[in-house]
Amino acid sequence: MTNNKTTTLKEAKGSILTPFKAIKYLFQKPHTLRYPFEAKEPSLRYRGFHLNDWEKCTGCGNCADICPNQAITMVKIEEIEAKPGRRNERPEIDYGRCCFCGLCVDICPPGSLRLSRDYIHIDHATNSFKYIARDEKTEAQSFVPADTYSVLNASLAHRKADYEGFVSDLNHCLFETERVHMPEVEAGERKLSFMEQVIGYNREEARKEAERCLECKLCEEACPAHMKISDYIDAIYEDKPDESMRKILEDNPLPSICGRICTRHCEKVCSVGIRGEALAIRWLKRYAADAVRDYKKAVEQAMPEPTGKKVAVIGAGPAGLSLAYFLRLRGHNITVYDALPAGGGTMLIGPPLYRLPREAIERDVSYIESLGVEFRFNTKVGEDVMFEDLLNEYDAVFIGIGTSKSRSTGIKNSDKCVLALDFLRQNKLGKGTKVSRRIIVIGGGNVAMDVARVALRQQNIQYPGEETEIKTVSLEDWDIMPASDDEIQEAKEEGVQFNPAWGPEEVVLDDEGNIKGLLCKKVKSVFDENGRFAPTFYEDQKMLLEGDMVIEAIGQAPDFSFIPEGLFKELKFTPRRKVDVDENGMTSIPKVFAGGDIVNTNLDAITAIADAKRAAQGIDNFLRKED
Amino acid sequence: MDKLVGLLKGIFKDTDGESLGKNRLRVTAPRGSVLAVLDYLKASGFYQLKSISCVDWMDENEFELVYHVASMESPLHLMVKTRIARDNATFPTAIPIFKNAGIFEREIHELFGVEFEGNPDLAPLFLENWKEIPPFRKDFNMREYVKETYDSIPSFEEYQWQKEN
Amino acid sequence: MAERELELIFGPQHLGMVGNLSISLNVEGDTILSARVNPGYLHRGFEKLMEYRNWIQNFPLVCRINMIESEPVEMVYAMAVESLAGIEVPERAHYIRTMIQEMSRLSCHLTAAWAYTSILGFDTPAQWAMGDRDYLLDLFEELTGARVYHIYNMPGGVRRDLPEGFEDKLLAFLDAVAGRLPDYNSTFFENRLFFERASGIGKISAQDAVALGGTGQVLRGCGIKHDIRKLEPYAAYGDMDFEIPTREGGDAFSRVLVIRDEMVQSVSILKQCIEKMPSGKVYEKTPNPFKWKIPKGETYVRVESARGEFGLYLVSNGGNRPYRAHFKTPSFVHGLVILEKLLQGANIADVGNIMLSLYVIAPEIDR
Repeated sequence: MTNNKTTTLKEAKGSILTPFKAIKYLFQKPHTLRYPFEAKEPSLRYRGFHLNDWEKCTGCGNCADICPNQAITMVKIEEIEAKPGRRNERPEIDYGRCCFCGLCVDICPPGSLRLSRDYIHIDHATNSFKYIARDEKTEAQSFVPADTYSVLNASLAHRKADYEGFVSDLNHCLFETERVHMPEVEAGERKLSFMEQVIGYNREEARKEAERCLECKLCEEACPAHMKISDYIDAIYEDKPDESMRKILEDNPLPSICGRICTRHCEKVCSVGIRGEALAIRWLKRYAADAVRDYKKAVEQAMPEPTGKKVAVIGAGPAGLSLAYFLRLRGHNITVYDALPAGGGTMLIGPPLYRLPREAIERDVSYIESLGVEFRFNTKVGEDVMFEDLLNEYDAVFIGIGTSKSRSTGIKNSDKCVLALDFLRQNKLGKGTKVSRRIIVIGGGNVAMDVARVALRQQNIQYPGEETEIKTVSLEDWDIMPASDDEIQEAKEEGVQFNPAWGPEEVVLDDEGNIKGLLCKKVKSVFDENGRFAPTFYEDQKMLLEGDMVIEAIGQAPDFSFIPEGLFKELKFTPRRKVDVDENGMTSIPKVFAGGDIVNTNLDAITAIADAKRAAQGIDNFLRKED
Repeated sequence: MDKLVGLLKGIFKDTDGESLGKNRLRVTAPRGSVLAVLDYLKASGFYQLKSISCVDWMDENEFELVYHVASMESPLHLMVKTRIARDNATFPTAIPIFKNAGIFEREIHELFGVEFEGNPDLAPLFLENWKEIPPFRKDFNMREYVKETYDSIPSFEEYQWQKEN
Repeated sequence: MAERELELIFGPQHLGMVGNLSISLNVEGDTILSARVNPGYLHRGFEKLMEYRNWIQNFPLVCRINMIESEPVEMVYAMAVESLAGIEVPERAHYIRTMIQEMSRLSCHLTAAWAYTSILGFDTPAQWAMGDRDYLLDLFEELTGARVYHIYNMPGGVRRDLPEGFEDKLLAFLDAVAGRLPDYNSTFFENRLFFERASGIGKISAQDAVALGGTGQVLRGCGIKHDIRKLEPYAAYGDMDFEIPTREGGDAFSRVLVIRDEMVQSVSILKQCIEKMPSGKVYEKTPNPFKWKIPKGETYVRVESARGEFGLYLVSNGGNRPYRAHFKTPSFVHGLVILEKLLQGANIADVGNIMLSLYVIAPEIDR
């Protein structure tokens, strides 16, 4: 150490006058602030009082959970309308406790909570330290304009607008925005056969994905069946698939099915999904179901005392199966009637095999069967057994028939077309349809996508290596196409051609009566000003799509023909042509309950399960009241 | 590092050493030989006692004492550990080996209630009029204590109100 | 017991006391016969509180262990969590951490210069030191969003990247502070009054300094070249070119001059940081804080704080919270063991002098 020994004894002793050098600073500009004439501007990243954009805030409460000082409480705000994915709660911050660490900002999924650059609070009221942060967009009067703002009139309630300091940054936030990649079979390979497209998470991937869950439970409010999503995901994270399965089966008896084809109301509201990719809730459920396999062993379901009551269920689709399950767990004897040779209903016919393999359906159905539910397959109510007999024989009847008839467009020569459900049914239950090389599918919904992709696979199987084509025609343009984005994307990848905003006018035949093509006209608008379905067309713009097979997939309707005419008159419908049920799921016919696609407008499995859950409670109350 | 472990194992029975990453060595010794191990380490160049930590493994009904010793020249840092019974915990003092051990023992005595035999000064260090069980033990519930002690104090508003009426 | 022996309680309200600490002195005349330090005025039980919060929630807590210099505490906790969980930190984050450590050291040394000079009655350099430190706090505010409790380190790196133009502002500050060093020297460090006041006061031998657990300036003031930054380079210190200043005297004078020389080294390290700063990520995302569990294990992590070795013994039992955290703070030994020893036989007027030359910061003792 030689270079920094600048002070030695000699030096120090010899410099008694040097301190007077300091006098020069008397003539320099002072470093201190001239208060209050000159306020210091806080830095751009300053961590001051909170700002919260109420429009973006979902009330998820993550800020309150992460706060190490418990300074944040979620307060109910009456003026905000609560809906799935948006609670009417907003954070209230107690500045007596807040330490301005900004963890709340870094955990805020929508990024609505920020810290401002304000840090001075002057107020007479002692309780003003508690403050519900709110943004300028909704509370203009609370903010003073920049030119009249001063330190002295600064308070929590009178702040400067646009005074953001520490704000959320997705690269540095405390949650993971990217989903664990789900392995899938490539488009080129999957279009050649009916192998399942989605491969499914393995243990590590599932745990990693489950770890992303922030446990805000917004999803549980959005799920029609109110599944305990946060709990079962946490069980997966803890590497306890059995426990996870127990949680799932409390509200949903069809985990294998729902784990593959659920319409995911939950993922649409997932907080992480607001600025990142939503949690793969569906795939996690599928992981739990696949990891457990033998539900019965995992769950060890205790059976209650038998009640001796008998309930008939018509239709073994999601609604019927779930109702049977929930009621069986309440001790009733259940008999399920279905015209098809196995359980699953729409699930058996609709979703193509590459989405939902037969094995997945069988697993769910056999678990329900193992609980003691009796199934009568290949039994069509109205033909093999009479509806009136069921009414007499059983203590209650549940109708969960779903929509089993395809609608037709009714255009000229439409009798030459194939109907979507018939096509799908033959492909899943029968040997498969003979398809042609050039197929046109009418429709833009998920069923149309299923039809197109099944047809594509059949072409690849029946004409290997040959040139084939699939075209779809839909009234709706890209922006309003009802099929899900994933489906459209995947169909495109596999080579399906789309013709959006074209309406079918006529199936054109050649001289021998074979299909030559489909004449279409350009769509002007699909809905009228009231949002009702009323398509209009440009009559002068027409196009002929060439093809030798046309499949219609424009919608389905229920088949009520099994109900005797006299009784059917008593069955009330809503204005949207749905079966009208009360809060117990009971129809206007006494002791007849209903659920599923004939009741709700969501037309999906999870809503059918939710209907069944409600009806199960209703039937249980009804049966116990009878005694 | 391995050499040191080998030496220690050779001299002291039931003593084990394990590397915990770069420059960190964990030495586990039975109760009886810890002080001898420390003495030996001091003689082999580990002159400084950095700290003594105590961990309460309540489920196993044991306290764990961790002596942090280091030399001045090498980056090696040793954690010499031993387990002692949790009920009426006592342990001989390390003052004869390391002069500064007393203050760490005083801290552990106050926060965990371990009695160090031979330490002349085990007076309370931080706390005043403490009547509960030693606060850093796992069975001391901090949240409950805070609730009982401070919830009876009226809030500022209540206090104002009481004064005015 | 001598007849004229008195017990004098020095602090926490005594004017000559800096910090919330109390010392009971047994005095005879002006001479101290024995001293006993009574800490506890700031005991908040942080180590216990940490057992009730999850890994991330502890960050706003740990930095409050030392209000003068919160960075080493955050750093040591972040490093301990990283070591237990096996997280790699990006290269740029290492440099930013080194930078903020040195800024923090500089700021702490300036505070110490303020406290030490004002307790000796040198009010002018005291005000300068405080003024200069404030410019550093402005830089902290710019970088982290807060002036004192930065909460800037996180497991996996640092919370935000450098703001635009930060390097230039820091360089300007470093030049300014380097330019003022001659003034500090002439008014204080090379001032004969300071030499008279500090030389030979609070003298400790090298053997005692080691045996009593001294670190930092206590060792370096006795001529022992001991510095964790060199001994076991963490962050980006391995890439930095700097020296460990030492003095032979072992008295208050030597220790304070070591502090001065360290400031010169810090300025140099900061300039190197800016020069060598790599580009890239500054933060590696860690698992969701609500679910994050760290495997069972234990670690001891240490950094060189402004006052000496700052260590953390962290134990995880596989849960989402620390099972036990035990801080080894430099002031604990310096303030409770070495101070008591050095006060024996000293003059009452030198209590503050000795205490501050040992760099004792009360909240660090209490935790």
